[in-house]
Amino acid sequence: MNEKTPLAANPGWAGETGDFSQLTEEEVRGTTFVGRRPPDGGAPAGACSYPYQLARRSPDAPLFEGPYAERLDKIRSRYPDRRGALLPVLNLAQEVRGHVSAETMERVAEILDLPPAVVRGVASFYTMYNTRPVGRYLIQVCTNVACNLCGADDVAEAFLEHTGTGAGETSSDGMFTVIEAECLGACGFPTAVQINERYFENVSADDVPGILDRLRMEWSTREGSD
Amino acid sequence: MAYPWRDERETRVLSEHFGDPAARTLEGWKARGGYKALVRALELGPERIVEDVKASGLRGRGGAGFPTGVKWSFMPKDDRRKPHYLLINADESEPGAFKDRELCRWTPHQLIEGALIGAFAMRASHVYIYMRGEFFEPAQIVARAIEEVYAAGLAGADVMGSGQAIDVTLHLGAGAYICGEETALMNSLEGRRGQPRIKPPFPAAAGVFGQPTTINNVETLCAVPHIINRGAEWYRSMGTDKSPGTKLFNMSGHLVRRGNFEFPLGFNLKELIYDVCGGIRDGRSLKAVIPGGSSVPILAADEIDIALDYESVAKAGSMLGTASVIVMDDQTNMVKQVRRIVEFYAHESCGQCTPCREGTAWMVRILRRIEAGRAARSDIDTLISLGKNMIGTTICVLSDSAAAPVHSSIAKFPAEYDALLRQDEPVMATA
Repeated sequence: MNEKTPLAANPGWAGETGDFSQLTEEEVRGTTFVGRRPPDGGAPAGACSYPYQLARRSPDAPLFEGPYAERLDKIRSRYPDRRGALLPVLNLAQEVRGHVSAETMERVAEILDLPPAVVRGVASFYTMYNTRPVGRYLIQVCTNVACNLCGADDVAEAFLEHTGTGAGETSSDGMFTVIEAECLGACGFPTAVQINERYFENVSADDVPGILDRLRMEWSTREGSD
Repeated sequence: MAYPWRDERETRVLSEHFGDPAARTLEGWKARGGYKALVRALELGPERIVEDVKASGLRGRGGAGFPTGVKWSFMPKDDRRKPHYLLINADESEPGAFKDRELCRWTPHQLIEGALIGAFAMRASHVYIYMRGEFFEPAQIVARAIEEVYAAGLAGADVMGSGQAIDVTLHLGAGAYICGEETALMNSLEGRRGQPRIKPPFPAAAGVFGQPTTINNVETLCAVPHIINRGAEWYRSMGTDKSPGTKLFNMSGHLVRRGNFEFPLGFNLKELIYDVCGGIRDGRSLKAVIPGGSSVPILAADEIDIALDYESVAKAGSMLGTASVIVMDDQTNMVKQVRRIVEFYAHESCGQCTPCREGTAWMVRILRRIEAGRAARSDIDTLISLGKNMIGTTICVLSDSAAAPVHSSIAKFPAEYDALLRQDEPVMATA
C-alpha cells in the first residue's frame, strides 16, 4: 500500500473502520441493548459499581443513601466477608462524589468496619481512584506503546493545548482534566482515549477540537435539562 | 465477522458473532446455538467435562499457556465443606492485548456459558468475573447478560434443575495492571492492595478467601462451550499438536488493517502481517514485531517467518503470550518505545519486591538519559546488568517482563542505542 491510509473521520467508537461501517454507534457500544443502569444497580449480581467520576456528581453528596444504600447492601451480599466489598464500595463512593477524599475513605472504613489505614492503603494503590477533585470530564489519553506508535503523544498534546491546561490540572472552567493513561486495552484502535466512562477510539490530533465541542455540548444540554 | 475487518482465511470460532448486536441477548445467543453446551455438560457430569477439556489440549489464553483441563483437575474433588471459586480474569491490560474486551462486549453469553460449565466441572459455587475498571461498556453488557441468565434459571440456587448452585458476580477493578496476575487478582478481589502472593500455597489449595480457587482467562472459558459441543477431537483438529485450537490474534501498530483475527495456532506471523493485515502502513517497511504483548522479547524484521504457537515462538527467542502482535515500521524510534514500555512497568510495579520496584525505576531513568543524548556506553552495561538482576528474582514476572524488551532491543538494535550515546566516557567521581 503506497497511498496514505485515511484517518478515521468520526471518532467516538471503533465502528468506522472495516466491515463495521454498517453498524451504528449504539449497536457497537451496546447502549441500545444495555441502556442506562438504574441507580440502585439492578439485580445483585450486576449491582457492580464503576470507579468513574461522572460528569454530574457532587463532592459533598451524602454517601450510601437512597438508592445507593440499596446498592451497598447488594454489593455486600456478594462477598463472603466485609473486606471483599471494599473495592466496589470505593467505586460507589467515587461514582457519587467524583473523587475519594480522606473523609470519604473514613466513611467507607466505618461502613465496612475496617481500619481507616487499610482503606487508605487500598485506595492509594489503584490508579482510578482520584484522591483529589478532577474536572467534569477526566480525559485519559493512552500513550502506551501500541497507541504511541500511532501518534498518541500528539493526541495528548492536542488535548492539553485545546483545553488550555497542563497535565493533571483542571481547566479554569472546571470542565476538563487531561492525564496520560496506561494501556486501555483498545490497542487496535489507536489512539484510545477514555473520557469519564466512555472510550473514544481511532482519535487523531485533528479530532480533538471536535471531541471537546461534543463534550461541551453534552454538558450544556444536560445542565439545561434539570 | 472479525473485528473490525474480516478475512476469508480466518477460522472463526470464538469471534463468529463479533459485530452482531443480536448475539448479545440471551434469546439471540440461544438462537445461535448458545447454552446447548451447558445442557450437555450438566448431563456429562464434572469428571467427564474435565476429561474432555484435558483431551482437547486447550491451553490458557492469558499468556502462560498452561493446560486448562489439568488446571481444573487440581481442584479438590470430594471436599464439600469448603466453597470453591472460579475467577475469570478479565483484567486485560497488557499493552497490545484487546481480545477479552471484544469477547465481553460482543459475546457475553459465550463467556458466561463457559464459566457456568467450568464452575459445574469444578463444583464451584461462585464465579467472580474480575474485569478491569476501565471497561465500562463490556461491564454493562456482561452485567446485563448475568441478569438474563439469573432470570432464566441458568445461574443461581439451582442451575437448570441440576441441584448445583452457581452464583455469578461481576467485580470491577480500579486500575492496576498487576491485578491480571492471578494471585494479585485474588488479593484485589479480597479488598487488598493488588500484590502477588508467594506460591505455594497454590490457588487450587488455598486461593481467594482462603478457599480452593481456579483462575481462567476470558478467552479460555469462551472456548469451552465449543469443545463440549463439538468434541475434543474437533478442537484438536485445529492448530498444532502441542498448541491445539484457535486463537484471537490482536493486531496493532503500523498495520494497514488492525484488529482481532482468529486463526488456528501455528499460523504464520509473516502471512498474518502481510496478507491478512495488509502489510505496513504508508508503504513503509518493517522494523520490529512484538509477538505477544509488551512483556515479551522483541523480534527483528528478519525473524518473523515463524509459526504462531507457544513452542515455535519460544524457539524464536520470544513468547506467544496473549498473541498480541505489535508491529513497528522503519521510522520507529526503538529507544523511545522501549522507554515507554518500561515506564509502564515502573508505574505498574506493585512495589513489593526490591529488584522490581527499584529496577524498573532505574531503567526508566537510564533510558530517558539515553534518549536525551546524555548517556555513555557504561549506561548500556548498567541496563543489561540491572535487567539480569530483575529476572527470576521476584514473586511475579512483572520484573522479568520489564527486562525482556530492554535486553532484546539492545541485542537486536544496538545501532539505535549507539547513535544516541555520548562518545566521550564521562569521568567518574572516585572516592
